[in-house]
Amino acid sequence: MKFSEDPRIRVARRGLAVAWIYFALYLLVYMGLSYTLGIEPYVLGLPRWVTFGNLLVPFLFVVMLIFVAEKLIPDVPLTDEEKEEEDET
Amino acid sequence: MNPAVISFVIYTAILAAIGIWSYRIVEKVPIAKYEKEFYAAGRGLGGVFVAMIIAGGLASAGTFIAGPGMCYAYGYSWVLINNDQIFMNLMLLAPIGIMVGLAARRVNAITYLDMFRARYESKAIIILLAILVTVFLLPYMGTQFVGAARVISQMTGMGYFASLALGSVVVLVYCVLGGMRGTSLATLLQGIVITVGCLMLFIGTVSYAGGFQKSTEAVASLDMKLLSPTMDGEFPPMFALSLALMSGFFIVGMPHAMLGALTYKNTRALKRGIWLGAVLVFIWTTLLCLAGAMARAIVPDLAVPDEIAPWLAMNVMPKAFGGIVLAGIVAGIQTTVAAMAIIITSSIAKNLLKEIKPAVSGREVKVASRVTMAGCLSLAIAVALFQPRLIQWIIFFSIGGLVSATFGPILLGMHWKRGNKWGTIASVVWGMIIYGLAYTLVPQLKVWGTHPSFISVLTSIIVYVLVSLATAKPSETVLRTFWGEPRYR
Repeated sequence: MKFSEDPRIRVARRGLAVAWIYFALYLLVYMGLSYTLGIEPYVLGLPRWVTFGNLLVPFLFVVMLIFVAEKLIPDVPLTDEEKEEEDET
Repeated sequence: MNPAVISFVIYTAILAAIGIWSYRIVEKVPIAKYEKEFYAAGRGLGGVFVAMIIAGGLASAGTFIAGPGMCYAYGYSWVLINNDQIFMNLMLLAPIGIMVGLAARRVNAITYLDMFRARYESKAIIILLAILVTVFLLPYMGTQFVGAARVISQMTGMGYFASLALGSVVVLVYCVLGGMRGTSLATLLQGIVITVGCLMLFIGTVSYAGGFQKSTEAVASLDMKLLSPTMDGEFPPMFALSLALMSGFFIVGMPHAMLGALTYKNTRALKRGIWLGAVLVFIWTTLLCLAGAMARAIVPDLAVPDEIAPWLAMNVMPKAFGGIVLAGIVAGIQTTVAAMAIIITSSIAKNLLKEIKPAVSGREVKVASRVTMAGCLSLAIAVALFQPRLIQWIIFFSIGGLVSATFGPILLGMHWKRGNKWGTIASVVWGMIIYGLAYTLVPQLKVWGTHPSFISVLTSIIVYVLVSLATAKPSETVLRTFWGEPRYR
């Protein structure tokens, strides 16, 4: 019998790509800003690199992740039956 | 009685009640479904539970005690280093969550090693990994209990051993009685307590220090290095990057993190687990680290930096609130221990036992699960009796060892059809040898000042690929199980 790949595997691979690209981008931005902005002038009373690189950037990436995860990872059924299970808390 | 003690005793009593209630649920489950209920909570957990289990399991004493401690000792440079762990849930669930979810349902895998069994069809790998997981996770669990006991002791005035008992026995109760069901319910409560505790500690510290500006100026007057992102070269960017790789890309190799991937109900729960986990870890990590760094302005000469979080809880806020923060810190530690206990128990009582005695009955597995769970938690408590001093470095050692052994076989195993059992065995052995050498005889292997896990993970991936290519392909059964369309299976 000819082997045919489950189409849901493409979604799984997309999950890997989304996570790795997103985290690489986060590292690039937060580390880049942290090592280049310098300490002074203080922003919001904290060293400048802390405020931008370690408060603002992580906050923005956390908020953006809500949209990235919800929009870029499609819902797929996990069982081999067609219907999706009901959600709960 | 000290208000902190009262708050903490109430919290502990609720956890014990959860354990007993979960026990009644688990006991009603037919013996044929017992393993799935005990180890995977019936594979029906929603996004909030999944977020809490992964975030709570991965954020340990390193986040709640040593994190603020390192920030207190080394200033804002350690805020930067700790911020690399914010996206742990994303880096675990998105890369392998769907693959694990699909394959686990096809082969009825309910434990971490069930997945290895199905993917690599090798008894040797199960035995090897069961041993490694136990060897690395037991001391890790021990350090968690040490951290909890120190916090409880400092905040309540009780002796170390009484504090150890108070912080650890309740974990034993709800894990042994309730398995994953008890752990997940307890983790939900603990996640709320941790978050509230972190917020209270942060607000109390900022207020007591007179705001950010005042505290930054006070810290600068002590030592300008405390405001530097590298502590003036003590933690170079490559060191920070290697730890970021370990807490980010390599986190897939952490077995106790796999629990979330094995227990989530559907992809909606998976996605909620991803972003909610990031929100929680961001709050926990950033607030505690900032509090730790700012605390230097309040108390510049604390002898043991790891004691800064409980010190703040006792000194910058009302006593009753201090009890909530105490419960929050200890809860963060207990969630980690519980997740590890489930993994070790499943490795030994389910997978190893079935490899040694294939005809083992469901009832025997049930008894073995509870005995093993009690045994491994007792051993971890015994480790804690020795009171090791350097918790953070033991945690890094354990994490590094685990990811060195399992990163390649898990990630490539889920996404590369050609990977096979020989590649896995070779990469696990290679990873352990290089990791051991980098830590001991050949420190030059820590290239560019990186953590030893950096070189061991990278080279073990190469070994996995080369050996897999040089040996036989995986069987048709494996290919169809993990990648095949349903109708071709």
